[in-house]
Amino acid sequence: MTKKSRWSFNFSTASLVLIPAAVGINYIGKFFAGALKLPLWLDSIGTVLASMLAGPVIGALSGAINNIIYGLTADPISLVYAITSVAIGITVGILAYKGWMDSWPKALFSGIIVALVSAVVSTPLNIKFWGGQTGNFWGDSVFAFLIANKYPVLIASFVDEILVDIPDKIATILVSYAIFRGLPNKLTLVYKNESEIEKL
Amino acid sequence: MKTLSLYQPGRSIIHKIDPVTKLLFIILAIFVPIIIGTWGAALLTLLISLSFILIGRVFKKVLPILGFSSIIILSVIIIQGLFYVNNKAPLFTLGPVTVYREGFYYALNIALRIYNILVAVSILVLTTKPSDLIEALVRKGFSPRIGYIFSSVLQIIPQMMSTVDTISDAQRSRGLETEGRLSARIKAFFPLIGPVVMNSLISTRERAMALEVRAFNSKRKKTFLHEEVKTGYSRFLQFILLAILLAAIVWRVLS
Repeated sequence: MTKKSRWSFNFSTASLVLIPAAVGINYIGKFFAGALKLPLWLDSIGTVLASMLAGPVIGALSGAINNIIYGLTADPISLVYAITSVAIGITVGILAYKGWMDSWPKALFSGIIVALVSAVVSTPLNIKFWGGQTGNFWGDSVFAFLIANKYPVLIASFVDEILVDIPDKIATILVSYAIFRGLPNKLTLVYKNESEIEKL
Repeated sequence: MKTLSLYQPGRSIIHKIDPVTKLLFIILAIFVPIIIGTWGAALLTLLISLSFILIGRVFKKVLPILGFSSIIILSVIIIQGLFYVNNKAPLFTLGPVTVYREGFYYALNIALRIYNILVAVSILVLTTKPSDLIEALVRKGFSPRIGYIFSSVLQIIPQMMSTVDTISDAQRSRGLETEGRLSARIKAFFPLIGPVVMNSLISTRERAMALEVRAFNSKRKKTFLHEEVKTGYSRFLQFILLAILLAAIVWRVLS
């Protein structure tokens, strides 16, 4: 049995129903983080899990649909950040395929990569739509300090975003990895491309 | 069945306009002010969107959506008013701090753009049933499978939230601490989210099988449960919207 390319994905019914579940998990993560008053968003656990299970394409789709739904039901501005979610889905999918998601230290490293990607993609959006701010109190305080000291907006905004993203994305990846480890084989096998046994 | 949506049922003329026309309006409301690039254009667009909200009788529902972003906008006004790079001319002084004209106007511009997007999207969200929107898009050639994903998300989230209630109660009755120190709250996150996630992932398998059994993957052309409601003026409205967009582009190129 040959291992297919990382971009191949079967748009099977199983991966299709994974997307709504992923969006739901994102929503629940955000809800619990809010209910427990944690200083993080934790709103992309579902996207990360979908990428780990079914690859970058399904992960990216989950991310995009997550932000579209959130934009249409709570905060229209989150539509714009669909691009960031897609980037997170693709990055995690590739990292997982390359084997960078199969131990705790590797997952931690992946968390840093995902945080960087997310900050690089979000910064231009923050500048275009918010003049560079993120809406996070600590990040924005640093942003104000930096532009008050005549740093360019691009740098100030990137620092603002990365300060928020590093802890959030590392926590998100570690939580997802913990959950992924606990999943039964009969579930993870459904999404494996190379498995010929179970086909849905 | 309960679904996740901000839709407000109503009989106004805005409710009767088809979803695709409203989507087109959103695109216009975002891009025309950017294309024209003046304050007047942005303000006029915002006023037009707001008047549609008023005609649709959903003004009260739009306030929480705006409130969500207003706190950030306030902080943008403060930070840019004080520290914007091009700040030169003082606007006013409050005790030790001086707010500058350039930064203040820059921030107002941002606020106007954000409110424009928020109100335009709100017209669609508040006056359109989500299932109508999805159906309209599928009729326009959108993949029915993507359509299924969207309607499925809107149903799955309320379902998962009720699972959340059950699991929160169960874990609390076992003595899980959900308040207090940060470390206690972080520890509580796992026993709460773990079961919900496992539950929903495992049920995707059953859902997939249930769909397969009902020939979800069939390649035949899908039919619709409801007849398409054709409104005579939707074509006319779309034509006007496109004409305005073209006029804006022409105006920009010529001037």
